[in-house]
Amino acid sequence: MEFDFSPVIEYFPTLVQGVGVTLLIGLAVAVMSIVGGQIVAVISLYTRRVVSWPLRFFIWLFMTTPLLLQLYFLYFGLGELILIPAIVVGILGLGFHYMAYNADIFVATIRSVSDGQYEASRSLGFGHIRTLIYIILPQAFYRALPQLSNNMIIMVKDISVLSAIGIGELVYVSQYAISVTFRPFEFYITIAVIYYLINLMMEAGQSWIERRAAYRR
Amino acid sequence: MTTSTDTPMVELKGVKKHFGDLEVLKGIDLRVDRGRIISIIGPSGSGKSTLLRSINHLEVIDGGNILLDGMPVNRPDLKGLAFERHINHIRQNMGMVFQHFNLFPHMSTLDNVTLAPRRLKRMQSTDARKLGMELLERVGLADKAKAYPSSLSGGQKQRVAIARALAMQPKVMLFDEATSALDPELVEEVNRVMKGLAEEHMTMLIVTHEMAFARDVSDWTMFMDEGVVVEANTPDRLFSDPDHERTRHFLRKHLGSQG
Ligand SMILES: Nc1ncnc2c1ncn2[C@@H]1O[C@H](COP(=O)(O)OP(=O)(O)OP(=O)(O)O)[C@@H](O)[C@H]1O
Ligand SMILES: [Mg+2]
Repeated sequence: MEFDFSPVIEYFPTLVQGVGVTLLIGLAVAVMSIVGGQIVAVISLYTRRVVSWPLRFFIWLFMTTPLLLQLYFLYFGLGELILIPAIVVGILGLGFHYMAYNADIFVATIRSVSDGQYEASRSLGFGHIRTLIYIILPQAFYRALPQLSNNMIIMVKDISVLSAIGIGELVYVSQYAISVTFRPFEFYITIAVIYYLINLMMEAGQSWIERRAAYRR
Repeated sequence: MTTSTDTPMVELKGVKKHFGDLEVLKGIDLRVDRGRIISIIGPSGSGKSTLLRSINHLEVIDGGNILLDGMPVNRPDLKGLAFERHINHIRQNMGMVFQHFNLFPHMSTLDNVTLAPRRLKRMQSTDARKLGMELLERVGLADKAKAYPSSLSGGQKQRVAIARALAMQPKVMLFDEATSALDPELVEEVNRVMKGLAEEHMTMLIVTHEMAFARDVSDWTMFMDEGVVVEANTPDRLFSDPDHERTRHFLRKHLGSQG
């Protein structure tokens, strides 16, 4: 079998566009799932059961069912009710999915901040909420970073699942290119290399963050 | 707010506290006048920490009264947010120093010190910085302003913790075994800072296991055992000629072990 990469070069602008969409979705999902994960963790730890239990149930639901199923559910379910662009459905779906995983991490790291930290802040005259904001959550965040960035690295790979609902991310656009050029292997190899490079960049980012976080723990 | 000079800075009247069946404070009375330094000694489990924590409302007492400069600490009449506001105000007037420092690890030492004035008094950052540097200077750590707690020794951490507690210009400082978690060679640097505060007439309540320091620094020493004040006296009198056998027994053990 002979490789011919000229179709890949021909469709390179399309691939770049796909990478752009992938990274954009990744960024949106990262922000949503990290900010949302913290909020969910705080609510599930510090509110009454009528609020926290349903929330925990949702976390559990998102963590125990396949991502693809959740996406179909949102896409066909929500899509029936209101008209929303597929990309929004994709971001929400992935966002909720990883929000659940991130919330799980935050719950553990918030709990791991010692009572002494809470008491020190209260003894200075900070109220409960300010203590959370200035003292507990930042520390929980630094402690969560290693697992958090692992989750985000896995998440970027999961973006490819969004091709199932027709979002023009990297895998989807290459599938289109393949259907026209009939050169699947060349494209799959190229995508794999691109994902590898994205991963490499994220790991570099991870260790940079990790170095900065280490002395703040 | 009361500011008359004859109002005691801290006053405890019949303070009671129990944990389940265990009565930890069995009616404690104490009057601390402005600028006075009280040391509290006693065997492990006698209720010293509980007493100090009750003054700061980290423990909620079951009976009696605690007044800070005439203001009641416990206000069962206030609920919810109203009580939060009240207790935050009370706590801003007390500095508390913990055995395990409890510095905020995610902030530089300067930020540890300036957090409360910046956020609670809305102090401008240049003013806060100036205040923070002055306080770090005072505990001998101005050169560590940018360092994070993880890079400090125990003695340095505790000195930063003292500076942090001073930043709100408290009326009284509460020390709960400030040097117990330190290696012996680091105790002195912390004691020196506390002595400096004593010379500036800071009102202080000091729970300590260090008898020599208690004797040296305080105006009045309280010996507690099993939730009661067994006796209280000037340190010279209490350490050299205690009235009670329990005190004598405790001192024999503790002075003996210190050589
Ligand atoms: N949160 C709590 N729940 C239950 N019991 C407690 C609690 N805090 C303290 N106690 C108990 O109350 C008693 C007094 O404790 P406290 O810490 O005040 O003693 P202490 O005099 O400070 O002792 P040490 O010298 O060891 O620090 C002890 O028997 C302790 O086990
Ligand atoms: Mg104690």
